[in-house]
Amino acid sequence: MTELSQNGTENTTRSGSLAALAGLRALVRNQAFSMLLILALLWIVLGFLSPYFFTVDNLFEITLQTAVIAIIGAGMTFVILSGGIDLSVGSVFACSAIVGGIVFTHTHSLVLAILATAGTGALYGLANGLLITLLRVPPFIGTLGMMGIARGFALIFVNGVPIYGLERYKFLGQGKVLQIIPVPTVIVLVVFVLGYLVLTYTRFGRFTYVIGSNAEAARLSGISVRRTQMGIYATCGLLTGLASIIEAGRLGIVQPAGGNGYELLAIGAVIVGGASTFGGEGSIVATLIGAIIVTTIRNGLNILGVNAFWQYVVNGLVIIGAVAADQFRRRR
Amino acid sequence: MAKLLEMTGITKAFYGVRVLKGVDLDLDLGEVHVLLGENGAGKSTLIKILCGAYAADGGSMSIGGRPVDLATHDPRSAEDAGVATVYQNFHLVPHLSVAENLSLGRFVHQRSGLIRWRQVHAHAREALSRVDLGIDPGARVADLPVSQKQLLEIAIALSKNARILILDEPTAALSRRETDHLFRIIRDIKGRGIGVIYISHKLEEVKQVGDRISVLRDGVKVATLPAAEADLGQVISLMIGKDLIRRGARERRADPTRAPVLSVRGLKSEVFSSPLDLQVAPGEILGVTGLVGSGKTELARALFGIDPSRVDQLLLEGRPVRIDSPRTAVELGIGYLSEDRDVDGLCLGLGVKENVSLVALAKETGLFFSIPAERRAATDLVSSVGLKVSGISQLVRYLSGGNKQKVVFGKWLHARCRLLLLDEPTMGIDVGARGDIYGLIRAFVAQEGRAVIFISSDVEEILEVSDRVLVMARREIVGELEPSKTSKQEILQYASRLGRARVEA
Repeated sequence: MTELSQNGTENTTRSGSLAALAGLRALVRNQAFSMLLILALLWIVLGFLSPYFFTVDNLFEITLQTAVIAIIGAGMTFVILSGGIDLSVGSVFACSAIVGGIVFTHTHSLVLAILATAGTGALYGLANGLLITLLRVPPFIGTLGMMGIARGFALIFVNGVPIYGLERYKFLGQGKVLQIIPVPTVIVLVVFVLGYLVLTYTRFGRFTYVIGSNAEAARLSGISVRRTQMGIYATCGLLTGLASIIEAGRLGIVQPAGGNGYELLAIGAVIVGGASTFGGEGSIVATLIGAIIVTTIRNGLNILGVNAFWQYVVNGLVIIGAVAADQFRRRR
Repeated sequence: MAKLLEMTGITKAFYGVRVLKGVDLDLDLGEVHVLLGENGAGKSTLIKILCGAYAADGGSMSIGGRPVDLATHDPRSAEDAGVATVYQNFHLVPHLSVAENLSLGRFVHQRSGLIRWRQVHAHAREALSRVDLGIDPGARVADLPVSQKQLLEIAIALSKNARILILDEPTAALSRRETDHLFRIIRDIKGRGIGVIYISHKLEEVKQVGDRISVLRDGVKVATLPAAEADLGQVISLMIGKDLIRRGARERRADPTRAPVLSVRGLKSEVFSSPLDLQVAPGEILGVTGLVGSGKTELARALFGIDPSRVDQLLLEGRPVRIDSPRTAVELGIGYLSEDRDVDGLCLGLGVKENVSLVALAKETGLFFSIPAERRAATDLVSSVGLKVSGISQLVRYLSGGNKQKVVFGKWLHARCRLLLLDEPTMGIDVGARGDIYGLIRAFVAQEGRAVIFISSDVEEILEVSDRVLVMARREIVGELEPSKTSKQEILQYASRLGRARVEA
């Protein structure tokens, strides 16, 4: 964008001011930048409203809460960039955690439990991918169906009863590296750095953008659209499973009703981060900022003592508002 | 008497790039004003400002003597002021009937809200008769041929009491006879005092329909002149700002002694009425022409593995191959430039470099790809295909038709394919950029072992570019001709002969 405004204008005073204006507009149009601005504003307002907001405990809490949404959001970024949607993440989150919990109670092996959790998530992702590529079910409907299926299995596997006693999970949710950096934060950073590298430097990442921008052009250029889509949904499922391990570690239990409404938060993080709902445009870094914004709002409502049920309403409004703002900006 | 339309000093910039630099345009009652200019000259932007799709940055406009507030001008107020546009890509609702499309948004209904279908159909028949279109108002729009859709769009515009009718490349997909019909309708429209702004790349049409010509170049109107006095050579140089159109002569001709790049025997599918045979030699440009609906596009789609087909024998450089998907075609070194680049050729929301590297990346196998190599390749391609862009990251969406086509070309060149299937590669592209595209095609086949199948319904272009011509009609190949030994006349006879024979039988 900057490249364009610099080269596209001549050396007249009028064009000079035009270029400056275009530069400013480019900055405002830069999602990551404007989102950081909104985040800063949000923090300032909350800091004024509650003396508790800027305490170490609360900031730590925000970091932990952000981790879960951010990691699911990273997977959701791939899906939305490719022009799809995954509504099943909340239920897949619960079911993966339950499968992992069952494996743990039987084997007492944390490694096996983690593998089972992430693996279950990835399998659900592959199933979503198959629905979309092989059966040609639209992503919205396919993953809506999977939302029901995964939730059902989560309840069936444990007959609706949570699994307790996951004390050894705790390091993953509450531990600290070098006694200061929370483990979930480290996992988030690793996930986002990897996600960024994959989207920028790999063929898979590039194809994700290309399919979201024009799937037919991608197919006619020889890209295997189906295989890429399978990979995209599997990635989203895998990361959803990973996120559920962190939450299990934080709470020490896994419950079949867990992850309720997380699809709303994860999609919210991606959309607030500025990805186009039509696919092809957006960045994973912006999703991280989006996740922090979404979590901050939730946290803010909590510490201000707003009824928890209202949080759903606010989350919904945030998504709608973000898309509406995006549409407005596109119309110029 | 007040002008029907007066636009003065219209300016518009996108992201600091000035697309219109103070353009004037006016239109009289009952006049056909032809707007000419290369792609990127600013024609579409000007038209979009007139019909309210874009907001102008500066200038003034009045319609029928009444000043229009450009700040609040939008598609709604444009429609209210009597501006109607017939776009290249249709704005019809394909699943609804002709009558429903004609009444869309203004159904005649009873007080209870129930639609009076009899009146809706009567209204439709009347509107259709105004454009001399004898079709059933109950027919589904999706089932109509392109030419009838176009007339239907004009009928819709007229039924909304349009005073200014904008026709954007109306004859792009029309046959000769359909074009004549359209011109008759345009003359009739003029007689009713409606003004027409006519955009076309086909210069020979200009004198047939136009009263006045305005030429845009680089966002500036360079001339307005009466069509009757215009000299076409002069108009072309006004458009491209040069005195000559480049007509590069071919150096290498087809080499028939070597194994054909592609040899097809007995290509069958549901659409073709008889099995097709064809061969392309190394260095050859094989022209394929025919009227709209003759099966040209279907041929390309079958060869590229998009639509299902069966074949008795398919040899690529003498080796038998099977093509069952675009992916296998790409892997075998075949490239396809589709008829509609925006729909299935380009990722409009991505940059030039992302688009040109598409096929090459699809053919690679590793996990990673090299970004510096991509940048280098894109930079090289920009200069080798003569792409006018501000940088290799510029979004393809903002490029003109000719430049977009060059990006698609670059995508296949970069992937080093050996056989290119070009489907109407110059459709909607102006004279100057056309010459560039021809140059690219010739440069491509001049390379060792490369060949092109060049599909076009523009017979003059076919004669100029191809080494050999196949004529299609009624979804089969009806003739093979030598460009040097044939004429436009003969090709058109072939193209329509079978059709007539069928009707007589």
